[in-house]
Amino acid sequence: MILEVLSIGLIVSACLALFLDEAVYSVAALAGTFLFTALLYVVNGAVYAAIFQFAVGVGTLAILFLSGEMLSDKPTKKTSPKKTVALIGAGVVLSLPAIFLSVSGSTGVYSDTSFGNALWNLSGVDVILQALVILTVALGIAIILYERRNGGK
Amino acid sequence: MDFVILSLVMLTIGIYGLLTNRQLLKVFISIELIATAATLNFVMLASSTGQGLGQAFLILAFSTDTAVSGVVLALLVIVTKKYGTSNINEILKMQEKRESEAEQ
Repeated sequence: MILEVLSIGLIVSACLALFLDEAVYSVAALAGTFLFTALLYVVNGAVYAAIFQFAVGVGTLAILFLSGEMLSDKPTKKTSPKKTVALIGAGVVLSLPAIFLSVSGSTGVYSDTSFGNALWNLSGVDVILQALVILTVALGIAIILYERRNGGK
Repeated sequence: MDFVILSLVMLTIGIYGLLTNRQLLKVFISIELIATAATLNFVMLASSTGQGLGQAFLILAFSTDTAVSGVVLALLVIVTKKYGTSNINEILKMQEKRESEAEQ
């Protein structure tokens, strides 16, 4: 029962995040999406994934709350309550197939690979390479913004 | 309850938002939803077979997602400062106007 409620909440908050007119309310709905995703992970036993989802979500939302209000255009009209109710209804309808239908076959071979073993022994090289990619991207963004500030000189 | 369909629905909503919204902030939110759908698939399929590998892949996917977020936010800042709006249609119109003025 709790999985179904979380799934409905996830889809409804995703619909609200995309189609509400005000930037702040959209970002608040996106916060709901991240929260419901993290709760789904916890219910399925993926606690580390939930913690990371929460941490990354909080960072993203902090930036979006700051930049969203400053940089986005002001909406010409406010979202009407009728539209909000329609979005919630559409979200509930869209989440029904996930609750009542099933396409998954057998779950495959059960293997008890721990998270630490999987992260450091099976994909340790990937982690280091990803860290290098992140550093390169951060450096690139800093260079773009620096060039922009100095007018390309 | 099927998480594959749930992530498919999330993916569909994200792609629909990406195609229909003209605000850069909404485009960014659409990208976040698509990334969430992908990571949801990873974790749910892996946790159903008892593998921690899905959670490890989630962390790798998060790092890529964060990099994409950084690039999109940098673009949002640059475009909004340059054009004074974050609406893609208006930015395209301004660009066309500038090009036509430059040709004259």
